[in-house]
Amino acid sequence: MAQLPSQSIPTLTPESPPRLEVRSVSKRFGGLQALKDVNIIHERGILGLIGPNGAGKTTLFNIISGFLKPTEGQVIFNGQAIHTRRPHQIVEMGIARTFQIVKPFADMTVRENVISGLGMPIYPRWLALVQRYRTPATLQASEAILRLTDLTVWAEARAESLPIGLQRRLEIARALATGPRLLLLDEPAAGLTAAEAEDLAQLIRTLNAQGISIIVIEHNMTFAMGLCHRIVVLAQGEIIAQGPPEQVRHDERVINAYLGQEDDNA
Amino acid sequence: MSDYVLSVAVFVGIWVTLALSLNILTGFAGQVSLGHAAFFGIGAYTSAILTANYGQSFWTGFALAILITGMTGAVLGLPSLRVRHDFLVLVTMGVNFVVVALFKYVDFFGGAMGIVNIPAPSLFGHTFRGGAPYLILVWVYALATLGVSWYLSKTWTGMAFNTVRLDEDAAAAVGVSVPRFKIYAFAISAALAGGAGSLYAHFIGSVFPDTFVFLESIAILSMVIFGGVGTLRGPIVGAIILKAAPEMLRFVQDYRFTLYGALLVLMMLFQPMGLLGDDSWLWTKLQRLFRKGS
Amino acid sequence: MSWMQNLSNAMVLAAIYILMASGLTMVYGVLKVLHIAHAAVYTVGAFAGVLIYTWVGNFWLALFLAMVISGLLGIVIYRGTYFYMLDSPRTVPLIASIGLYVMITDLLQKDFLMGPYQRAFPAQGAGLPRIETRFFTLTPKQVLILLVAVALMALLYVVLTKTRIGLGWRGAAQDREMAASVGVNLNRVISLNFFLGSALAGAAGVLVGVYNNSVFATMGDVVSYKAFIIIVLGGMGSLPGAVLASIILAVAENFLVATVGYVLPRDAIAFLVLIVFLMYRPHGLLGKE
Repeated sequence: MAQLPSQSIPTLTPESPPRLEVRSVSKRFGGLQALKDVNIIHERGILGLIGPNGAGKTTLFNIISGFLKPTEGQVIFNGQAIHTRRPHQIVEMGIARTFQIVKPFADMTVRENVISGLGMPIYPRWLALVQRYRTPATLQASEAILRLTDLTVWAEARAESLPIGLQRRLEIARALATGPRLLLLDEPAAGLTAAEAEDLAQLIRTLNAQGISIIVIEHNMTFAMGLCHRIVVLAQGEIIAQGPPEQVRHDERVINAYLGQEDDNA
Repeated sequence: MSDYVLSVAVFVGIWVTLALSLNILTGFAGQVSLGHAAFFGIGAYTSAILTANYGQSFWTGFALAILITGMTGAVLGLPSLRVRHDFLVLVTMGVNFVVVALFKYVDFFGGAMGIVNIPAPSLFGHTFRGGAPYLILVWVYALATLGVSWYLSKTWTGMAFNTVRLDEDAAAAVGVSVPRFKIYAFAISAALAGGAGSLYAHFIGSVFPDTFVFLESIAILSMVIFGGVGTLRGPIVGAIILKAAPEMLRFVQDYRFTLYGALLVLMMLFQPMGLLGDDSWLWTKLQRLFRKGS
Repeated sequence: MSWMQNLSNAMVLAAIYILMASGLTMVYGVLKVLHIAHAAVYTVGAFAGVLIYTWVGNFWLALFLAMVISGLLGIVIYRGTYFYMLDSPRTVPLIASIGLYVMITDLLQKDFLMGPYQRAFPAQGAGLPRIETRFFTLTPKQVLILLVAVALMALLYVVLTKTRIGLGWRGAAQDREMAASVGVNLNRVISLNFFLGSALAGAAGVLVGVYNNSVFATMGDVVSYKAFIIIVLGGMGSLPGAVLASIILAVAENFLVATVGYVLPRDAIAFLVLIVFLMYRPHGLLGKE
């Protein structure tokens, strides 16, 4: 799958790589310390964010994408502080995300879901009031994204009628439609079969090759190791290791963190 | 056409407009409001005060009713940015109470006696109170509201409303400013209802606080839900049936609110999408019939 | 009026609010439904109370039967409507609830039921004494209200904390699916919940009817909106929150009216307070995100 579209998608223009800096970010919910002094710098490539349940991975995503405010610390994107901005403003700056619990627009068709993302540059303008959303340009752009994400056959199906694996892909397609420089994927492979997961990994590599930086939260170690160029391991809100997959795999603290969790589960 | 039938037709036109305008807020943008009669009332009072107390023409009153009610709608929509779902329902209910209380207890709004001697509109030197010209005016406005609704649903604004209704987090994730579009929805919905209020005031010739109470908000919401919220045909058919039936049938008039209530309950039990909503029994049948015929 | 007198008057008002709001918040806790029809149950309770009182002349019997009737009406409402809407979007039961409320209130105004006028409910204080102290005076009617409210709330407390069904209710309020999976008979718990909450509303209706010596079809309007304000302030679904909020609202209303008078009717002020409050705390006084 994941053939590159013959003509390039207008929204995906590779420029100099985007630079995301998470600077000593902490987040407390009441008495619970969800994140503690987290520092990450990410430019190009695919960054994997792994760690046991409750490690604070999704909290970190929510902070980067503006759904949560950090208790302390800053998030800088291409030199601008974004931790004070609202989610839709962060999308405008070129950071798109998917959700761990998928949130496609259930009543819309798959194509309309994608088109909803194409509106990103228009929503902030007054013209949004009078401009139609179904134009040859948006249809063509949505077609290209659907082809890239291999959703073309489902284009006119209602989003809620899709199986979960396709809904996850639709979320990626919708995020792509906003023309991101940085894409945050929250457990995109959850619930997929091995073959589907491999297709997904291929798609993510393709996107990265087109110049989109990617951070992916992943529960499945093997999947993350095979996909990511660099891995950050979170445990109990703190970074306990980061580096290339090979190095992280043999890190003692990482092994302990995961083994510890298995003990808990037993 | 007898005067009676004529005035029923005028009322139906005004309530079709009200139902369509609420549909933009509730059906498109997903914000359930139990306070729409407040906007209806603000439009009626704006126009009434401007014409009866400040000697403005109907047309000025009408235009300003739309404008001022729209702006009030934007302000009264602010609470929707902080609260969601059930809390929002209670807030809109509260707004309705406060607005009616203001009409009733503030002298500027005429108090419990309301405002009387509201002049009839005139065009090219002809004054028309009631009559066919007024009927046409009302229905032109209803059609304009329909047109606005239809066009809105095709625009990026309509798309943004859809995203806000379906999932606020996902809406923000595609770049929609949820607060901004909620305010748009409140403003547009209120403005259209304000125009309906003006048309009502100049038709009756007087306005009283009790016309715009919570129960009227429920009646308008009933029309939207009964017909099929979110569609265009739904609110129109809902308003026509629920407004005309009580006028036509004596029994129905006596039991108007019993009927509204029972219809709402039955609808929610058996056809929560409304009489003509997507996937409703009747609409599916009609579509099949239509397809066979063509 | 001394502030002590003001306070004791406020407590009487609070007692009514508590009876009304606790049923509402119990329903919200388990079903997450804005049970607007609760106001209709309250009116039906008052109506049943005045009818039975007129027939048999015994206030306590009238109160008891009115509570039973209200409670049964609550179960009928649940089994007839909300029961089928547990998995629907939340607007569905909300709209149904509005429908029920409008329907019952309108029916009550018809001549074969209450008619569109007020009825006297001359039960006085049901033979209770007047309490006079140096600081405040309680009329027999006020004593009646306080007595009944305290007794009923004590009873409710025992039911909710000491019985299996009460524990089941609290479990269901935490997490409906979870409670069902550990063997709580959800249907029975919710039905009982409706019975108790509605019986309390019926009692509130009877007491208000006696207090004002008047029962009429739309008497539920204002009280029910007040009850909504209370359960919002108390953090939807929290019983202690509702009790606290009832007291706060009653005290605030009494002292506001006593000290500054008002330009708006007190109910509009209450709503204004609610709106402003919600802007500041969108999830209520004791509510969580």
